[in-house]
Amino acid sequence: MAGALKKYAFINAKLRGRISKILSDEVFDRLAKASSLDSALDILRDTNFAQLQEIYSSTGDLKKGELELLKKEIELYVDIKQYVYKGSIEFINALLYQFEIENLKNAIRVFFNRKIRNRSSDPNIHYILYEPVIHKIPIDIIINANHFDEVAGVCIGTPYEPIIKKYSETVVSQGSLFRMEAAFDHFYYSNLIAAAAKLDKKDRDIVYRLTGVEIDLQNIDWLIRLKNFYNMPLDAVLAMLIPGGFTLSQAVISELYKAQNVSGILQNFVKGKYPGLTALLSSQTADSQSRLLLIDRILEEIMKQEVHRILAGEPFTIGIILAYFILKRNELKKIRTILNAKKYNLQQQRIESMI
Amino acid sequence: MMFTTEMIQLFAVVLGRDAERVSEMLLSEGVVQFLNIAEIDNEEMANLSSVQSQVSLVDISGLRERIEGLLHTIGIIPKAPKETDLNARAPVAVEKEKKLLDKIDGERESIRERQRSIQQEILKLEDIRRQVDLYGLGLSDVPLKTKHSFLQIQTGRIPLSNTVKFEENLRALPSLGISLGQEDDLAHYLLISMKRDSEQINKILSQSGWTNIELPNELKSVKEDVFKEITAKLGALTEEQKKLERRVSDLIRNQEKQLTDIWVNLRVTELLYKIQTNFKTSSRTVIFTGWLPLSKKDALSEKIQSACGDRCYLEWHNPGGQEIVDDEVPVQFNNPKVLAPFEMLVSNFGIPQYKTIDPTPFVMPLYLAMFGLMFADAGQGLVLVIAGILGMKHFKTIPEKKGYFKLSWLIIWCGVSSIVFGILFGSYFGKAIFEAVWFDFHGIVSGHPEGNSAVKDILDILAITLYFGIAVIFVGLLFNWINLIRTRRWMDLFFDKGGVFGAWIYTGGIYIASYMVDNNYKELPSGFIVFMLAGLPALLLFLKEPYHYLHHKTEKGFNPLMILNFLMQWLVELLEIFTGYLANTLSFMRVAGIGIAHASLMISFYTIAGMTSGIYSVIILVLGNILVICLEGLSAGVQALRLSYYEFFTKFFHGTGKLYTPISLNSD
Repeated sequence: MAGALKKYAFINAKLRGRISKILSDEVFDRLAKASSLDSALDILRDTNFAQLQEIYSSTGDLKKGELELLKKEIELYVDIKQYVYKGSIEFINALLYQFEIENLKNAIRVFFNRKIRNRSSDPNIHYILYEPVIHKIPIDIIINANHFDEVAGVCIGTPYEPIIKKYSETVVSQGSLFRMEAAFDHFYYSNLIAAAAKLDKKDRDIVYRLTGVEIDLQNIDWLIRLKNFYNMPLDAVLAMLIPGGFTLSQAVISELYKAQNVSGILQNFVKGKYPGLTALLSSQTADSQSRLLLIDRILEEIMKQEVHRILAGEPFTIGIILAYFILKRNELKKIRTILNAKKYNLQQQRIESMI
Repeated sequence: MMFTTEMIQLFAVVLGRDAERVSEMLLSEGVVQFLNIAEIDNEEMANLSSVQSQVSLVDISGLRERIEGLLHTIGIIPKAPKETDLNARAPVAVEKEKKLLDKIDGERESIRERQRSIQQEILKLEDIRRQVDLYGLGLSDVPLKTKHSFLQIQTGRIPLSNTVKFEENLRALPSLGISLGQEDDLAHYLLISMKRDSEQINKILSQSGWTNIELPNELKSVKEDVFKEITAKLGALTEEQKKLERRVSDLIRNQEKQLTDIWVNLRVTELLYKIQTNFKTSSRTVIFTGWLPLSKKDALSEKIQSACGDRCYLEWHNPGGQEIVDDEVPVQFNNPKVLAPFEMLVSNFGIPQYKTIDPTPFVMPLYLAMFGLMFADAGQGLVLVIAGILGMKHFKTIPEKKGYFKLSWLIIWCGVSSIVFGILFGSYFGKAIFEAVWFDFHGIVSGHPEGNSAVKDILDILAITLYFGIAVIFVGLLFNWINLIRTRRWMDLFFDKGGVFGAWIYTGGIYIASYMVDNNYKELPSGFIVFMLAGLPALLLFLKEPYHYLHHKTEKGFNPLMILNFLMQWLVELLEIFTGYLANTLSFMRVAGIGIAHASLMISFYTIAGMTSGIYSVIILVLGNILVICLEGLSAGVQALRLSYYEFFTKFFHGTGKLYTPISLNSD
């Protein structure tokens, strides 16, 4: 088995170089302050995102630019694959599933809105990836399908077929895709954890830790939705959650679901591991949604701290790859958020609170 | 040139009514790096208030940035204002300028809106084209490629009066209505749409009075042209998009003169306000302070007095004096323009502290000597010079690519160095066209040197680089002592790793090593000499920690365990000195290593070229030279930089200084 140095020395040097090119907070600050979408895009002219400005000035279509960003993000993963040791390729493939799943969800949403909800032509149809990410799924057929059987039929041989078959009746009867989409997410994380299990112990621990924080974020997101929008009871919520979280055990989630004083519970798990985050907890929140949003923010901070820990720690682990992907994803997310906020003329203060 | 520019601090009090004139003069002179007067720890100063500007600085900066953004879209980067712009400055009408920018933004947004709607049409047509591409048209005489065609194709006619509405309604969906001509008051159409939209399409058709008909035989050829029709429509829409894109540019270009004038006025006002944010005011006076080069003192003094008709009070403080505000003195490089590329290399590492040595003038010969030794070839050097000149000419006119301009100059310098060393070593594109002036580098590497030089084998080349490295390290140590003396850090002068004791050990080490080499590695100098050269300074270094303890005595008092601590720190320091100096010296052998690799590569290409003949041989040599210039040129450049930074700079240069950045019309 190759040593850590041999496996990660090259990719570590390469990715550290790329990390240095990630947009700084100062650029995001300038983006948030830009007077219009055009001005914001102009700031990106001298960065790696110059393409966005070119697309927008020639089409006026921000979504098309976003689609290009998505393609670039996928390319990033594919590109990294060629520089990593073969043991890590399977893990990166498992990470690539997130894009395929998201694209599949978008295609199914278009079909669902048209066929089940009887909504007129969906403009999102033009912003779906038709190129394969991992499996050759004919997205055209899904979009134009008349029944879930057709959708499942074109997904034969992929992990999505059984999920679509299992939940198609439920989503039709409930009029919501949530269950099916949640099942896709469950598959994504279980597949990721299974791929991580094949890594060396040191790498495995890093992956579990970072993926665990991500699962926590996902679970919190669901907790907010299930409690506030679906009014789901605790047992049902717990059954829906993805196992493998890092900070939020089922017990903590139960407490968060029920508690009025959320700060007290959060203090317990934050103060030991992340003393720097206790300042965030000082902000008292009254309603349950704000409480959960606060946790969401804390988990984001935990993720940031974990990434910085990796970057400052031992360099020759899979952590550098994960850290890079996370930083890059955050960068893209911030750009998307700011540009869309500019498109809808949101105030600078609001934008700053969003990023 | 050896040291950074001498600075002086100005403390000025002027009358409030003269403040505007003085600000304008200070901006025009552009030599003062202002300090915030609030930093003065004085009760009286605490009672002073800030100067209130008529318009908020944030508003002015915001407007200026908006105009910059607009001008950027047509590829214009506004030039720094001139003194005449300062004199012609007009009060900023924020609302008026905002209104103008909002108007431009509004017009641009309406064009963008139009672009978006055309883009939607393009996307819909592309949707159909993709289907046609994938699955064919599905007409009776054109077989489908697969069972999955999502296209619905029908022919029919509608009353002429409904055509406009019909075509307008179709625009909301991915569809293509091809007009097949008119008959009486009926228009014939071939309609291609998506099956998934059949419900909405049927609604549109029924509203338009559509009647299905068989496609007349004479119009059957139209089907073959559907793909062309889609492509033509897409082409027309794309052309319209381009026109709209040009309209955005024209919109801004039409206002270019006005926008540039406003930008200049905003910029001048912004800079003036930036100066005034550093002012403090009492009821009648204004106070400010800042650093400037000593050489500018008299001229500025005169200008201030003239600007306020001698109604001012000026105080000048030297760095280190008790009266100064903020004892971190900014640093201004003091080098001729020719050294700009090397100044760039130094500032990339850090800014020297005030009063310490600026290594720029020494980096030039050091860097070029190392580069030349590693990349010694007159022909390839000439290529670098040409590439550098081309780069320099290209980037000269682009102010925002100043860094590339300097880099081009660096390449020119490196090329010159390669030419000089190429002549010394007799290498011209890897060939010994003329005899080597110093020694035959390629001959030594290939094992059959020509000429009678004292340098005969690779070991001699390695020795040259070692001597070179030792000389560089000694220069670094000497600079360190000069810096320590100038900054009056007397104990560091002795106890620092690069201090007198460290250098003593290093010199001793070199003597001992050369003594051993002279005696075939079998004999050491006498014990007394070894003790005097390495042992005594090592023992003297032991005093460092106890001295520090006594000098920075804490309330804790002495603890016997501290002796163990002193001992450990001493041992670690000794280890660092011994291994550090050894590694630093040996590191210079890479210069020989890369030089040898360079020669070996050229020898290899000539050998490969020798195996062929004619044009192939020429191609191999040309490609070989290109590869070597790119690969070895980069490698030599990086290694020379690395050696300058880590083996030379670390001896004396901390790079923790603060660059002198006065507010001037040219400020970034």
